[in-house]
Amino acid sequence: MSELEKLKVVTKYELLKQLRRKRFYGALAITVLVVVLTIGLYKGLDLPTKIQANIPATLRIPDSANLFALFVTSVSALAILGAVFFSGDAIASEFERKTGYILFPNPVKRTTLVVGKYIACFIATAAILVVAYLISAGASLGFYGQVPGGMLGSFVIALALASSVISLAFAFSAVLKGSMGATIATLLTYMVVFQVISSGLSYAGYSPWFMLDRAGDAITAPYGVPLAQAFGGMAGGGQTIGGLMQASSDPALSFFVLLVYAGALFMLSIWLTKRREMI
Amino acid sequence: MQDSIVIDNLTKYYNGFLALDKVSLRVKWNEDVALLGPNGAGKTTTLKILCGLLRPYSGTARVAGINIVEEREHAISKVGAILETPEFYPFFTPQETLSYLGRLRGMDGSELEDRIKEVIKLVRLTEWAEVKIEKFSRGMKQRLALAQALLHDPPILILDEPSLGLDPRGMVEFREILKKEKKKKTVFFASHLLSEVALICKKVAIIDRGKLRAYDDISKLKKKYRSFEKAYLKLTEGAI
Repeated sequence: MSELEKLKVVTKYELLKQLRRKRFYGALAITVLVVVLTIGLYKGLDLPTKIQANIPATLRIPDSANLFALFVTSVSALAILGAVFFSGDAIASEFERKTGYILFPNPVKRTTLVVGKYIACFIATAAILVVAYLISAGASLGFYGQVPGGMLGSFVIALALASSVISLAFAFSAVLKGSMGATIATLLTYMVVFQVISSGLSYAGYSPWFMLDRAGDAITAPYGVPLAQAFGGMAGGGQTIGGLMQASSDPALSFFVLLVYAGALFMLSIWLTKRREMI
Repeated sequence: MQDSIVIDNLTKYYNGFLALDKVSLRVKWNEDVALLGPNGAGKTTTLKILCGLLRPYSGTARVAGINIVEEREHAISKVGAILETPEFYPFFTPQETLSYLGRLRGMDGSELEDRIKEVIKLVRLTEWAEVKIEKFSRGMKQRLALAQALLHDPPILILDEPSLGLDPRGMVEFREILKKEKKKKTVFFASHLLSEVALICKKVAIIDRGKLRAYDDISKLKKKYRSFEKAYLKLTEGAI
């Protein structure tokens, strides 16, 4: 039996594990709820007008399918946090809950096990992202009679971001003793540590294009709407707010950065898992 | 033909703590050997190295003539193992669990389906085959652990405290299964229950504080020390 065939088996059963867990349906329900609420708030409260109320009329961005998609899909990206919950325990739990005593003494390479787990986590996260983007696309079609072309680009970058976040979670999961610790460490690193470093670099006048969080912001870039301006800030494109650089994320560069994070952290997680002993 | 299990000068440290100290022993094919010793003696460490879950600091371990460090996947395909108190994925049924493990071991189709039914029946879990494992007691999980160890009909069984968590009936049934299996398999199992060891095995390796203290037939140890219990107590003197 080839290692590729074993990979198919591992992926199938790891995916089955994800689908049997309530957390998958919880993450799906929360994502649907958040996206629907955001659409309701955007249209019901006329958010584009309210948010841009303090901006001179000449600089305001009129409501459009692109602006709507920017708002809604930036929220949809929250679904990526589901990736953390699917991945945080992927490796650590085999050691913590002792299921590794059944899984590891099998004629299958640990690399194959990690890759299979990774693919399953990615598919679970991607499924939720697909639902979020489909709702957004459907709403855009209903309200504006069109689906913005940038939505596909946004979705591709969202997948790349999900991939890098899963890799980050896998790296923590491979090295930490507990699943909860790995999940919290991933969330803190992604939402706090990267943000602090990115902000620090921005204040110092350096563009943090190479930071995971900043590259992830490129989810909104394919719509071609200046992000800072749309969210009621200053005119975007390299200007500053209180010294903080508001560099627009280049979608192509950010996509590449995300892939590098995904690849490097994933390789690290494989290396760590292979070295880890079942003590 | 090489012996089924060959351990040569095996040494293992845990953060500076010497868990195994140059342990060497050989188990012939179709021999049944118990690894006996007090808590912390190094029994589980030895079995974990044989199953590729730990790396030795020095020395070698061979299973079916295959070096477990150099060719882990090949070596482990010859082994069925129960280690510590194994846990299973709670949202799978025994049927699904065995199907997953069987496929990883290269089994498929009707061969796998028939074998799953066979081992589930053997450990008396037929009525529970389609029930999620989250509802299982410790003893039932132990039965399932034995089923997965036997699933691919390996020539070597490595078992760590295999009767742990079983009720008296379960222990008797387990011994009967093992008696039948050991006719055609090598059985190497760790225990600290003298009575269990005496009922299952002819040969015993007594280990204490990482060192092999004796490796002989139980009958010979009985003769030398007047009883198996006295032999064990004498050879593990000073253990906690």
